[in-house]
Amino acid sequence: MKEPEPENFGAFSRRKFFKSLGTVAATAATAQVQSVAAELEKANAEQVVGPGAVAVTLKVNGEKLKLALEPRVTLLDALRNYSSLTGAKEGCDRATCGACTVLLGDAPVYACQKLAIESQGVEITTVEGLAKNKKLTKVQQAFLDKDALMCGYCTPGFLMSVTALLKINPRPNAADVKRACAGNICRCGTHPRILQAALKAAGVETASKTEVVNYV
Amino acid sequence: MSSWPTETKYISHSTPRIDAPAKLTGKARYSSDIQADGWLYGMILRSKWPSAKILSVNLEKARQIPGIKAAVTVKDFPQTIRYYGEEIAAVAGATKAACLDALRVIEIKAEVRHEFVVNEDEARKDNSAQVWDGTTNASAPRVHEQGSVDTAFPECAAVIEGFYTTPVQLHHAMETSGSTTSWTDEGLTSWASTQGISSVRDGLAGALQLDHSKVRVITEYMGGGFGAKFGAGVEGVLAAKLSKEAKAPVRLMLTRFDQALAVGNRPSSFQKIKMGATADGTLHAFEAENYGTAGIGAGGDAGGGGGGADIPMPYLYKVPNTRVKQSMVAVNAGSARAFRAPGNPPASFGMESAMDDLAVKLGMDPLEFRLKNDPNPIRQREYKMGAEKFDWKQKYQKPGSSPGVLKTGIGCAAAAWPAGGASKSTQGEARINPDGGIEFRLGVQDIGTGTRTVIAVVAAEMLGLKPEQITVRVGDTNFPPGPGSGGSTTCASISPTVYDVCTQALRQLQTQSGLADARGENWFAACKKLGVNPLVVHGQWQPGLSDSHACGVQFAEVEVDTETGLVTVKKILGVHDCGLIINKITLESQINGGIIMGMGYALYEERVMDDLSGVVLNPNFETYKLPGIADVPEIEVVLINMPERGVIGIGEPSTVPTAGAIANAVANAIGARVSSLPITPAKILAALGKVPPFVNA
Amino acid sequence: MKAFRYATAHSTDSARELVAGTGAYLAGGNDLLGLLKDYLINAPEILVNIKSLPGLNKIERGDKFWTVGSLVTVAQIENHAEIKMVFPGLHEAASEVASQQIRNVATVGGNLAQHSRCWYFRHRDTVCLKKTGDLCYARNGENRYHSLFTGNTCISPVVSSLATIFTSLGATAIVLREGKETRMSMAELYHRAWENPLAHNSLNNGDLILRVEIPTTRGRSAYLQVSDKHAFDWALVSCAAAAEVRDGKLKSPRVALGSISPVPHQVEAANDFLDGKVLDDAAATHAADMILQDAQPLKHNAYKVPLAHALIRRTLLKLNGDA
Repeated sequence: MKEPEPENFGAFSRRKFFKSLGTVAATAATAQVQSVAAELEKANAEQVVGPGAVAVTLKVNGEKLKLALEPRVTLLDALRNYSSLTGAKEGCDRATCGACTVLLGDAPVYACQKLAIESQGVEITTVEGLAKNKKLTKVQQAFLDKDALMCGYCTPGFLMSVTALLKINPRPNAADVKRACAGNICRCGTHPRILQAALKAAGVETASKTEVVNYV
Repeated sequence: MSSWPTETKYISHSTPRIDAPAKLTGKARYSSDIQADGWLYGMILRSKWPSAKILSVNLEKARQIPGIKAAVTVKDFPQTIRYYGEEIAAVAGATKAACLDALRVIEIKAEVRHEFVVNEDEARKDNSAQVWDGTTNASAPRVHEQGSVDTAFPECAAVIEGFYTTPVQLHHAMETSGSTTSWTDEGLTSWASTQGISSVRDGLAGALQLDHSKVRVITEYMGGGFGAKFGAGVEGVLAAKLSKEAKAPVRLMLTRFDQALAVGNRPSSFQKIKMGATADGTLHAFEAENYGTAGIGAGGDAGGGGGGADIPMPYLYKVPNTRVKQSMVAVNAGSARAFRAPGNPPASFGMESAMDDLAVKLGMDPLEFRLKNDPNPIRQREYKMGAEKFDWKQKYQKPGSSPGVLKTGIGCAAAAWPAGGASKSTQGEARINPDGGIEFRLGVQDIGTGTRTVIAVVAAEMLGLKPEQITVRVGDTNFPPGPGSGGSTTCASISPTVYDVCTQALRQLQTQSGLADARGENWFAACKKLGVNPLVVHGQWQPGLSDSHACGVQFAEVEVDTETGLVTVKKILGVHDCGLIINKITLESQINGGIIMGMGYALYEERVMDDLSGVVLNPNFETYKLPGIADVPEIEVVLINMPERGVIGIGEPSTVPTAGAIANAVANAIGARVSSLPITPAKILAALGKVPPFVNA
Repeated sequence: MKAFRYATAHSTDSARELVAGTGAYLAGGNDLLGLLKDYLINAPEILVNIKSLPGLNKIERGDKFWTVGSLVTVAQIENHAEIKMVFPGLHEAASEVASQQIRNVATVGGNLAQHSRCWYFRHRDTVCLKKTGDLCYARNGENRYHSLFTGNTCISPVVSSLATIFTSLGATAIVLREGKETRMSMAELYHRAWENPLAHNSLNNGDLILRVEIPTTRGRSAYLQVSDKHAFDWALVSCAAAAEVRDGKLKSPRVALGSISPVPHQVEAANDFLDGKVLDDAAATHAADMILQDAQPLKHNAYKVPLAHALIRRTLLKLNGDA
């Protein structure tokens, strides 16, 4: 669906490269070769690309996604619209709701406020990458057991936030869970059960305060 | 006569949500996730003027943006724009970026009008700009009188007067409005984020002049509605038009920005209440004037549909002498739409605040005052039950008497949801295979309420199977029609329907198989007797298994920092009658959700309009504030089980009394009334007399 | 967003060259991408990723001062055990920033340089003073979140929590300007916003914050803020206090307020008054009075005066140690 414009593909700043080469011309031969290699590497690393589509490789859930994207495409846009990974949701596109939360390495971040092009070279985990072989993780199972979801639209984001929390803090308390999830919005109002689910996944059982009374 | 079983294995117990695994693994495809072959991105261009006459729109440059495959306008020209954000045109293209670029080069010729009004009080003035040409912004007041208010007030031992106001509230479901729409030779398919697939089908068929049979609407998963998502919407029709022109599927979802402008809201209210009681605490006189805005959909023109600004007053209390005057006022803002218990949260807030104010004036415990005046026996019981659980008698102190800087207080309020009941035209079907597999199909929506699970639970109970053996499919206009998911009617509509489908299924299975009882352990044997053909059974809603009218009361405990104004809700207790509880765990979630939404209404939510520019100032989640996990208090729920009533609804009653209970708790804590929602630190400090007066230099 | 070219810089020289007047630095991206998505600034022709610039992401301890690199994230500060002990106010301020998703990518430099959050500035269709329009909509409009003090016609306040605490700690920002390192106090870093309605701070195009130096002279520090909500909500008012405490008396005290002025608000006379005093409620109250004395409330933000007053007292009294 999205093809790169060939003439813009991998646009390279030649001016920069030659300029830096010129400054090392006066040094000794071997040093010059090394410097040229280093300058070349640096120049390649600093190459200017875009504004048209560029090759971008994203490592998502252990697999490589090879895409052609304009630099302005966000990580969220790349996942949802250039791959089949629609698990991360768009709730606001302004880093305020958390529905797009993914893990960059171990860190939960808003995919909507990260460019895809700057998200290369790091392991990205989305909700699709949690369950292995159809077996729900402890966190997912806890959400299910505690009914910590309703319409489910905010759920992937909360799952990522809670999963990330438990990775660095396997025994969180309620305050820790609230801090970890403060950046996720839920309109259906599942917060009390998300708290219970997170604690359950950490091995702490809490009960809903519900009583059924027969009207007689 | 049909009746529910009294000994149950699944009904009234807790079965986990059956669509949870799909939602938890990211496999669930919402309308905004559909990736039909060759799909295009759609986007709407909206008016940046609150009032204008659009003379012409030139889409040529937009069409030339690489990747753009279609561009359409919304209406014929000249088009009158009456609010900031009204739709003008739309494009569809290969990428989001292409659409963004295309929108920016659409050329509009417009006569911009500088006369507009976005503030209710301004709009009521004689010299205000008119929202609709030739008509006043304020509608003629409707007056309702009973008894003799003017002679009744002097007879009262205590009278209070107050001005209670509530803001325009936005639905803000997590998934925005919109659809993925596609044409084939057979017609149009719309994967719509909707609460009413039939209403969308109807809307699309009408707008596009298609036979109903040529329009199919599918909503397998959707991310919340709360009343805003009925009908095709301008965006639904635009998606279809773009898709037709582009000859490709179009996914057109609104942005969060769009959601604040044009797809509905809860009207505001400005309630001037005067209320009096006799010395023994009996309500005797009630006089009220209320105005509010439903956006452009009010005032002289009743257009806007589904969300008028009038509210039930004096809500659920019977007062012998009343005079209620209500009018609506149009402003240049998006039209209101039904929003979870239309009219009730503002009505409950105003009335329950007035009740507490009057109780305080009488020197009466506000709970006792309510017990004296609430006519409903179920609520009476709920108050008493709740008061005991909440420790009301021990906790109640005179207003403002809590010592120290952090003051605590308690309050209560009630709800009555008079509507509800069931959609009698609900139908359903089940396909039973010889191998015992069974699939239910109902054209109902699961908007997060647990509808699928209810179907599985009822079916499992009636058939003697386990819920995990029941396959449930919902949300397709190809299925037998179900109710729109609203009015707290869904459970009461589908439960009796599934009951009937099961009854028919058992009857036919028993006949075909020769087995007297095809349920439970006989199920597989009975099904095997079907041979090679599946059994398809149709059923419909049956009377006697459901009811209408739901009540509830809520108690709130708050802590107010009287130096900073910060309000912290410590605890909410909800006592709600639930009729026959079908599935306990999903029911509790609904109540939690209603309470949290009510808390947002009480403390954080407010659509802010700018008088000078006419724009919505907070079209985002940054400054339109929703409760977060750090704000949510301990919530306790008491479910009053009344199986003899049959199935009733809970979605709306659960959100009605929360703001009133919180507002009363705040007033009790600080000894002063904040009568305007949302109750912010700024308003707390003002109520405490700590805010220096503004001097216009 | 409009289209842009993109490059990753590996030296501050190349970063500056690549940005070359028409580009923008991309660090955490929270503020920048938000500005671009709503077309609030002149669209940069190129975004230069500066996250690979060497040496800017370190926290270095020192006897006389600590150095926090501009690419250090707010999360790194929040999680730094020693910072929590040495500069508790900085830890507290970092912990309150936004949400963890934002803290994980937001940088110190970005937090200091962030643009106004005034809802008229942030709105795509109100052309206010900061966007070269000729009107401040907030002045006679919806100004509940706006400044109590201002030196010019724009009343949008500085909202950087780090700026508030850095002010009270007497921190200095080191900014690379046209190839040379320039030192700026927090007051200097924001001074231009005080004078010029177009400015969010004193940085020029191409300026790059390199690091912040925090002197260790003030052993005690504290930070408090109040918002409408309990988390992930901009502060209505924030307050930071720092001082050395010797023999129960304050030495070199500084109190700063955020979200009520285009610059972190400090009143020298109040700091002087507190110097040498025993920190008690009376002293804190008097200091608060002095700090807020010249406040000029607008129609809807006068509540910030008592709110700020309470925060000043509480933040100062926190310096006495955990009660």
